[in-house]
Amino acid sequence: MAKPQSPEELQPLTPPVFHILMALADGERHGYGIMQDVARQTGGALQLGPGTLYGCLKRMLSARLVEESDERPDPALDDERRRYYRITPLGDRAVRAEARRMADAVSAAIGKRLLDRRNAGFSGGKA
Amino acid sequence: MTGLCRIYSLLLYAYPRDFRRAYGRDMQQLFRDRCREVGRAAGWQPVLRFAAHVAHDLFTTSTRERAAAIWSAARKSPRRGFISEWSVTILMYLFAATTLVQAYVVPTGSMEGTIRVGDHMLVDRVSYANPGLVGRHILPYREVRRGDLVVFRYPEDIRQNYVKRVIGLPGDRIRLENKQVIRNGSRLVEPYTQHITSYIDVYRDDFPQPPEFYTTPRGRDMLARHVENGEVVVPADALFVLGDNRDNSADSRYWGFVPRSYVIGEPLLVYWSYDAPTADLEEWSVDHLVDVAEHFFTRTRWERTLLVPRSQAAREMGGAR
Repeated sequence: MAKPQSPEELQPLTPPVFHILMALADGERHGYGIMQDVARQTGGALQLGPGTLYGCLKRMLSARLVEESDERPDPALDDERRRYYRITPLGDRAVRAEARRMADAVSAAIGKRLLDRRNAGFSGGKA
Repeated sequence: MTGLCRIYSLLLYAYPRDFRRAYGRDMQQLFRDRCREVGRAAGWQPVLRFAAHVAHDLFTTSTRERAAAIWSAARKSPRRGFISEWSVTILMYLFAATTLVQAYVVPTGSMEGTIRVGDHMLVDRVSYANPGLVGRHILPYREVRRGDLVVFRYPEDIRQNYVKRVIGLPGDRIRLENKQVIRNGSRLVEPYTQHITSYIDVYRDDFPQPPEFYTTPRGRDMLARHVENGEVVVPADALFVLGDNRDNSADSRYWGFVPRSYVIGEPLLVYWSYDAPTADLEEWSVDHLVDVAEHFFTRTRWERTLLVPRSQAAREMGGAR
């Protein structure tokens, strides 16, 4: 895989990749922790299956967006060792750039009266 | 739950080896954690949704990872990696293909009118396969019916496969009168048959009769043991089959019943129909390959490509006796 130099080259990120980066933005997590956090972020709309999650992590590792931290048990779950992942500086820049890109897209949508400005929620169909 | 996890660990073999080695253990962990989470929820709905989600995830991502593995192997070492990755994939699909369907070429014209010489077709091996008690509820199994087309092992030489139409099921009384089939006292109207001669051959068209020159030992056995009051009575676990090209078909009239266990399956679809002589289709030859290479476009019957041969029940007229 070619190593991208700037976060802009990675845009747009796929939804699973974007949400995985967000899950890792506030600290390192193991696979199940990432999956739970992504479900929380999206209100349960995006449930990452095992194949989707580890397929993405594999590609994100080779693109240097994330890196493996270490292997240790999660005291809250059981005493099995789990592999933890953390975000890299490139990953951090990529998720910020993507969030900015989406914010720009949202303000464009508000400008076209596709979204309500106050809560940026769906306006209910009638503009 | 441990059973589910074991099943999932087996299903992980759908992924390429490198991916499985790198992430298999973590994926099992994740699966088990999700199982626990779903197990705490009440009712069946979340469980079913979880199962469907995991199955979908497994199918799409294993395909994706296999394609990625093939792609990267092809880029790294054009020879070995490429071939080994492809061969695993091809083996998997071949296994599925040979278990569920079988390719079959029709070499003779006994079903002409419905199925033509040179039709290459796929045979559905699942529908008529005896699945046992458990499979009966899972697999699309069904009993053979009258009017069905079936592919089966030729009883006089089980290395050959034949395709014919089912006329009689166990217990049915069959006779032919003036080229017409009479089953259990009802005359059959069979729109799928064709008759290429107009004269009456006593054995062929007014059946059953004493054995004639073409009657095989099995046919003679049928005539000796299963004829009652001038009708053939189909015994248990056997089928009476006839070709649709009724005047030029070696079928149950000549070689007896087909044991139910000899049935391979039902014609699924014609994937290629090529106009070639019987001898070329029965045995592989260089000449045939050259012929195909030369005339592929002109002799392929394009209108028959992807054709589905239909089972068709005969209408019973009644009052034949």
